[in-house]
Amino acid sequence: MSKQVPETIKKQVKRSFNSKEVKKEKNEKRMKLLKEIQSKAFKRAEKYEKEYLEQDQKLVELKQKALKEGSFYREPEPKLAFIIRIRGIVGVPPKPRKILQLLRLRRIYSGVFIRLNKSSLRMLHFIDPYVTWGYPDVETVRALIYKRGHARVNHQRKIIDSNEMIYDKLQKYDIVCMEDLVHEIYTVGKNFKHANSFLWAFKLKPPVGGFSTVKKSFVNKGEHGNREQYINTLVKKMI
Amino acid sequence: MTTQQLRPIVSVFPIKGKVKTIKQVPLPSVFSAPIRPDVVRFVHTNMAKNNRQAHAVSTTAGEQTSATSWGTGRAVARIPRVKGSGTGRSGQAAFGNMCRGGRMYAPKKVWRKWHRKINTNQKRYAVCSAIAATAVTPLVMSRGHRVNKLPELPLVVSDQLQSLTKTRQAVKFLKFIGAYRDVEKVIRTKKTRVGQGKYRNRRHVLRKGPMVVYARNLGIKKAFRNIPGVETASVYTLNLLKLAPGSQMGRFIIWTESAFKLLEDIYGSWEKPSKFKSGFYLPRPVMVNTDVERIIKSDQVQTVLRNRRPRSRKYGKKIQRADPYEDMSVMVKLNPYYKTKLQNQKELEEKNKKERKEIVDKSRKEYEDWLYFSEEEEEEEVEGSDEDREIEVLSDEN
Repeated sequence: MSKQVPETIKKQVKRSFNSKEVKKEKNEKRMKLLKEIQSKAFKRAEKYEKEYLEQDQKLVELKQKALKEGSFYREPEPKLAFIIRIRGIVGVPPKPRKILQLLRLRRIYSGVFIRLNKSSLRMLHFIDPYVTWGYPDVETVRALIYKRGHARVNHQRKIIDSNEMIYDKLQKYDIVCMEDLVHEIYTVGKNFKHANSFLWAFKLKPPVGGFSTVKKSFVNKGEHGNREQYINTLVKKMI
Repeated sequence: MTTQQLRPIVSVFPIKGKVKTIKQVPLPSVFSAPIRPDVVRFVHTNMAKNNRQAHAVSTTAGEQTSATSWGTGRAVARIPRVKGSGTGRSGQAAFGNMCRGGRMYAPKKVWRKWHRKINTNQKRYAVCSAIAATAVTPLVMSRGHRVNKLPELPLVVSDQLQSLTKTRQAVKFLKFIGAYRDVEKVIRTKKTRVGQGKYRNRRHVLRKGPMVVYARNLGIKKAFRNIPGVETASVYTLNLLKLAPGSQMGRFIIWTESAFKLLEDIYGSWEKPSKFKSGFYLPRPVMVNTDVERIIKSDQVQTVLRNRRPRSRKYGKKIQRADPYEDMSVMVKLNPYYKTKLQNQKELEEKNKKERKEIVDKSRKEYEDWLYFSEEEEEEEVEGSDEDREIEVLSDEN
């Protein structure tokens, strides 16, 4: 007995965007793209390794040179800071509260990257008692993004599962992989804004070993405010 | 409306002899009017109120006492009580709706609004709908009429029917055409009315049978009058209460040929107004094509639609992923250079280690050599005197 398939159904199947052929084609395209992305990722990671090494070496060279000449080498001021909110939400006055909101530091032990310029330094001045901040190095940036990096996708917080996720959102800024993202953040590149806003605010754990006293500034043997390179050790305890 | 230009054909049947088509007439436009059960229900419920007779309760009922309340302090309720003594009635409660022998709550009045005005156009709309429904077999069957054996629906019959005078002839006709089953149903289900209507001159309840619609009464009215369930009506005065009894559309109607043709003139069409109802055109349906599913699935619509958005399974579920610093496979997925980097680091370390080892070995060897040679030197020098050396030193200084 032959089955009579209604013509509308036949047409529907033909038109279907989920049919087997269409799916197969899509899948092939996607696989090809993934391969491209991964190969790019490899090459760029290699490039960046060299770049970071060169930077370090250059710094050492310039210092030595200055020493020889008997002058001083003034290191470039840091461009990047990592801020961690170390006080809760109770009893925060309106101005610091607003600034913390603007910086996406809405809960305790949340962290964000920020580029340092006059405006942002002014902002940090207001929220000093509620945060601790400093200048992260490459390994810190990397650890944060790899281990605790979540992307903002469709107004949702999704853990960065693969380079495809980064490619989808940041391809137009020439950021296609994790190392690209790390590089953009660490060197505060042209598209730092987009790379940073792609990342959801980092949710860190309370530090292993605890704080001394958050009420005092770091300079006064407390915890809040600028702690320059010591942010790196703190992040290791909180990551 | 395009439906009007191509009107379907309906067969006309004779009233005796053989059941076969003797003529064909086009279907009047009324039968394509929109079938609106909501309109019919509204009009029917209001129209049915129009044959009511006023009734009320006597104005004095329950008020024919001079009862007064005893007031407080007597350990009785404050309801008005009948005055006087010497009878059981005295001291009994009166006037209230809760009292025995009292007046009812809100006594019914004759000036209650018994009848309802309905807009003429609404009435006509309902009748058009009801007539259209009589041609729809499923509706007629769902109303309960036995129409299985009919040759066609709508059932149109030759005008000779109008000239019938005897009931016997009428019954013979109904049997001939296959409509008698409906009449049989009516006879079979005649029952005594449930409720008090039975002793208020409404003893029996009958179903509705076929309705015979004629153009001219040449005896047909009397012929069909006594057949239980059968009603006759002139096509000029079709009553909604008969076309949709109980506001249920789909009465079984037997049309005479001239009555059927007259429908086109009486109700008009969408282009031509009715000849008998001034300014009346057939009601227009809200949707011309009501098969929405078919419209959506049609080529014209489907080709213009955008692609269905794929269910983004990528970001749908909550993605769990191991810590890349603990799970190498996750690390490599995110950073394919990582393994190479580790290797390079390892190689570099080994190279440095090797170099360091060489340097260390070299310096150790030098030290051992020095140690070895210095031991030998010490033995020789023991022979010389310290004084000589000192003098030498002094002489150098000089």
